[in-house]
Amino acid sequence: MLELRGITAGYDRRAPVVRDVSLTLAAGESVGLLGPSGCGKSTLARVAALLHRPDAGTVVVDGTEARGWRHRAPRAQRTAFGVVFQQPRLSADPRLRLRDLIAEPLRATGAPDGIGELATAVGLSDDLLARRPHQVSDGQLQRACLARALALRPRWLVCDEMTAMLDASTTAALVSVVEDYRRENGAGLLAVGHDPVLLGRWCDRVVRWTDLAPGSGPTGGGQAGRGM
Amino acid sequence: MGDRLRLSAALVAVVVLTALVAPVAWPLDEQAVDLAAKLRPPSWAHPFGTDEVGRDLLLRCVHGLRVSLLVGVVAALAATVVGTAVGTLAGALGGWADRVVMRLVDLFSSVPHLLLGIFVVAMFRPGVWPVVASVAVTHWLSTARIVRAELLSLRTRPYVDAAISGGASRWRVTVRHLLPAVLPRAGLAAVLMVPHAIWHESALSFLGLGLPAHTASLGSMAQAARGTLLAGQWWPTLFPGLFIIVPTLAVAGLAGAWRERLDPRRRSELAL
Amino acid sequence: MTPLLDVRGLTVRFRMPGGREVAAVTDVSFELREGECLALIGESGCGKSVLASALLGLLPGNAVASGRALLGGGLDLTAADERVLARTVRGRRVGLVPQSPSAHLTPVRTVRSHLRETLRELTGRRGGEEAAAARASFPADHLDRYPHQLSGGLAQRAATALALVGDAPLLLADEPTTGLDRELVERTADELRRHVDAGHALLMITHDLAAAERIADRVAVMYAGRIVELADAARFFGSPGPRHPYARGLLDALPERSFTPIPGMPPELDALPPGCAFAARCPSATDACAAVPAFDGTVACHHAPEASRA
Repeated sequence: MLELRGITAGYDRRAPVVRDVSLTLAAGESVGLLGPSGCGKSTLARVAALLHRPDAGTVVVDGTEARGWRHRAPRAQRTAFGVVFQQPRLSADPRLRLRDLIAEPLRATGAPDGIGELATAVGLSDDLLARRPHQVSDGQLQRACLARALALRPRWLVCDEMTAMLDASTTAALVSVVEDYRRENGAGLLAVGHDPVLLGRWCDRVVRWTDLAPGSGPTGGGQAGRGM
Repeated sequence: MGDRLRLSAALVAVVVLTALVAPVAWPLDEQAVDLAAKLRPPSWAHPFGTDEVGRDLLLRCVHGLRVSLLVGVVAALAATVVGTAVGTLAGALGGWADRVVMRLVDLFSSVPHLLLGIFVVAMFRPGVWPVVASVAVTHWLSTARIVRAELLSLRTRPYVDAAISGGASRWRVTVRHLLPAVLPRAGLAAVLMVPHAIWHESALSFLGLGLPAHTASLGSMAQAARGTLLAGQWWPTLFPGLFIIVPTLAVAGLAGAWRERLDPRRRSELAL
Repeated sequence: MTPLLDVRGLTVRFRMPGGREVAAVTDVSFELREGECLALIGESGCGKSVLASALLGLLPGNAVASGRALLGGGLDLTAADERVLARTVRGRRVGLVPQSPSAHLTPVRTVRSHLRETLRELTGRRGGEEAAAARASFPADHLDRYPHQLSGGLAQRAATALALVGDAPLLLADEPTTGLDRELVERTADELRRHVDAGHALLMITHDLAAAERIADRVAVMYAGRIVELADAARFFGSPGPRHPYARGLLDALPERSFTPIPGMPPELDALPPGCAFAARCPSATDACAAVPAFDGTVACHHAPEASRA
């Protein structure tokens, strides 16, 4: 179970973009978080994945309360999450070949280095795996980013606008990779997005940002603050 | 850009070759004094003329170039290593570590440049290494600032978030993802620093604080020639001066071309 | 009546280091008339952005273009030299609505200052910023704001207002809705449609099928550098639907339809297979697909169902 309790977070303590928001995901459940851009839903997703320390509130991951964020979170706790972001170009280290990009979490944790199955799952050929990010399309790069997120077999997936830049076929392909993985591993999913049709089709349940956080309206500060 | 790059590269190659090869190919003594032939204007026997004790100026310029380049390159490298290390420490750790380190950097830069340099030189006996140390101590600050600023901006990239979720330690993120991204910029800063370091050495020598007086250094030669210039003897000032200016321009040109290559706004060749 | 934009056999090749050649655009032909919106749809990397660059004369130095793209029956956009394009075409005869408007605007200048400069440059007039803003429904009380103070929708309108200043008959919109919320997509699309109804011709390059369905009169589907289907939008999105199997697959991938992806990925443009580029992913491929299917003006497929007269 993933519990977010009374989260207040942002990039400026005086003007948090998320105010006192609570959300609970049952084990293996997929929840779509629907809201306009800049509303703070991405910030909440980063808090959930232990990548952004909230100003207030607690995150409980499978019964254990998070005590630290980013590098201060115990490795076992932060690798419980696989994250995929909106812009594959910014999510990939430009110097790494796709093969190394996908294998990076395995190497960082000393896990056996084998990405064959992952690459097959996301449909990347050997030729593409040998390329660097600037030599592939957005869709191909996002496939690699998804494979990287799955490399450590996370119990939770956090997909922040994963398909916003992609065409319909690549979107459907990536969603089916996520769903295959979840079916096999029983992982839970927090999918953040702005497309009600997509999230409705993809997730067990869709939560509207406006229902979740009646207090915090769009401030425009959430996205701009991260140098997008 | 192509022409500028080629011209600068050719000049740098000539300068480096001159400094490396000439003293070996013509092992003449640049200290040889010939009081019978002092302050001769340029001629076939002495293309750059002779100085006030009759030493051949061409020979001394070449040896001086060797010393200046050595000091410049070693000092720039040392300053870059120190600056990168400090900048990385501040940028990768962030928070209070960043604040403490950067206040120290501010403190250092509030002391006048040359004064600090003179202080370092004055602590040791005259020689090449105190000069290198003096230049390095006064030049690492800007590199530290550049590296720190780059790291702070890179740290917010989603790929760092992804690496953290992928279990990467702080050390691994820094060494594998952040440092490789700033090294080209630190390298550029190092190249740009070489001419600066040459100037610094020349200035110290000119003030009589750098290398021992008999060592041929471009700065000390220009200093020694000060008196003769007023008497109308221009060559002891002109040639060492040119030997300071030409390598400086060449290295700066090379660095400029490099900077253009680094510029992310450069249009990519293929944008599908 | 001559079409406003007449593209005939446009082909763009990139020469890459090592003698590789990238077939970015191959033998593309279409026409665009005043008051008409053509949506060019396809996956990222299918060559549609290169096509846009070719029409704006903004191809990089290692590109070779052949064929022609006649503007207003006269000027060939692929052959015109840079001075002509800069002085008489861009902004004046072809207006560009950019992909990421906030990146397109100079961060240190207000919207008013952008408009003022563009007005002076293109029309020689001083003043008139309010009127120019109003044409793109940009609110006058936001004119003195800087780009970072604008929401995504307002930044898009500011960029559109700039594109409209020169009163260019042809508007080229490159992924105008990428990353926008659906509500904003619809509003942006409707605004673009309004300009079409006012007599502009609009070429909208997009992978957003919903936006295309909302405003396009005709749809061109691009795959691996070629146009594989050119159809009436209502028939394409409604009944009888697309005729090319790739276009059918693309529509079926939508979450409101069967949400199933087309298997595989598009071929790399530097290593196109001989024959039909889609054959490897196509459910109805046969031996006939070893030959490149000719584009008959509506579809390029050996197995396309006959155009019904519904």
